[in-house]
Amino acid sequence: MGIFDGFKKKDEKPKADFSNVQSGSSTTSAAPASASPLPFPGPATGTSGAEQSYTVVAGDSLSKIAKRFYGDANKWPRIHEANRDQIKNPDLIHPGQKLRIPGA
Amino acid sequence: MMMRHSKKIQLSLCFALLLAAAACNRNAANNTTGTAGAGVRVTDVTLGRSVGSDKSITDRTETFKPNDTFYASVATDGAAPNATLRAKWSFEDGQLVDESTRAIAPNGLERTEFHISKPDGWPVGKYKLEVFLNDQSAGTKTLEVRGS
Repeated sequence: MGIFDGFKKKDEKPKADFSNVQSGSSTTSAAPASASPLPFPGPATGTSGAEQSYTVVAGDSLSKIAKRFYGDANKWPRIHEANRDQIKNPDLIHPGQKLRIPGA
Repeated sequence: MMMRHSKKIQLSLCFALLLAAAACNRNAANNTTGTAGAGVRVTDVTLGRSVGSDKSITDRTETFKPNDTFYASVATDGAAPNATLRAKWSFEDGQLVDESTRAIAPNGLERTEFHISKPDGWPVGKYKLEVFLNDQSAGTKTLEVRGS
């Protein structure tokens, strides 16, 4: 049995690291009227102005997410403000948390 | 003689009833298919390396290079005041790569694109994209990254 265990361990591939994956989306569709109002001034119309949601993955930080969605890591307070109900400490977010990302 | 005649009538009536029941069932089936088309539905998911301003794929492929950006264009048809599209990208054994959601209010034919990139390059292997409409799986696509 121990011999097989050794083989298994040898065959196991290390997990790939996807913590720096950048994502985005856009649509020809209008944004739903029920979308929450933007906490910061932003474009009122247009396809990129709608609120989006994002699920935190391992290795994320608010500044990384801000960089991903706004192209500017310094805009992380915008995400923090929109998620005050679930982020008490902006330096502490957890994989699996679903964040609201206000429109750019 | 009379008895035999009434039996024939009974049999004919039963046959007519069976036919009527079958016709009703067929109508019910058609109605189910019809209502499935109501609201909004995903009609197509395509993959490629770039999208145009109409959010459709301009460079269609399912085989990528490590430095490519993966684009998925999701076509929807129908109208809804509020719907949610979610793109879940996973790697080989199901390892989550990325998951993003887009709220839409479609009115007719619409397209929504999702894209992901990795600055230091994608690991070679097979990936899967699953698209969800209102949290219901609406289609999957597989793609592959091959070494450059």
